[in-house]
Amino acid sequence: MDLALGVVALAGLLFVLRVLRGPALADRVIAADGFVSTIVIAVTIAAARRDLRVVEVTVLVVALAGFVGTSMLARYIERRGG
Amino acid sequence: MLDAIGTVLVVLGAGFALLAGIGVNRFPDTYSRMHAAAKSPTLGLVLAAAGACFRVRTVPAICIFVLVAIVQLLTSPVSTHIAARAVHLRMKVEMDGVDELASDELARDRPAGDDPV
Repeated sequence: MDLALGVVALAGLLFVLRVLRGPALADRVIAADGFVSTIVIAVTIAAARRDLRVVEVTVLVVALAGFVGTSMLARYIERRGG
Repeated sequence: MLDAIGTVLVVLGAGFALLAGIGVNRFPDTYSRMHAAAKSPTLGLVLAAAGACFRVRTVPAICIFVLVAIVQLLTSPVSTHIAARAVHLRMKVEMDGVDELASDELARDRPAGDDPV
């Protein structure tokens, strides 16, 4: 389980790297969406570890917040241009 | 035994998250990166949620993990579709030097002056 958390942390770092590199705004939005999905996976793994006592509903809240955020940023790109 | 199955599923899910991270950095254009960032974390989350179900084994937790998997399977294609639409309408994405989506093939079916945005 420690291995899984480490692998997910590495994946999150790679997504952050793409958010920083760009080049277009859309690339950053997509990478941020993937980063939120990675956070959802990380919280799921943390909830699967019984020693951490994570409340499972947190996963659902983060997933829905990520959906709303990505949709709003995509609408922003449509209105203002990439 | 159930714990072992759960651990394997969770590690597989984490592996798919890592694959998505690698793909987002290695693929050459926006659409390919979108493909990497949308699909593999979804499968990774479904695997991780299944593994968490095998490890936690209480009814409320399993209900929430199933709900999380369903929510992700429903919302990930929608948000990626909205993002792809924005990129198609507002950006020029060249793959191997050509923009294959440059001509809007649905334009003739739209009334004149109807801005899709």
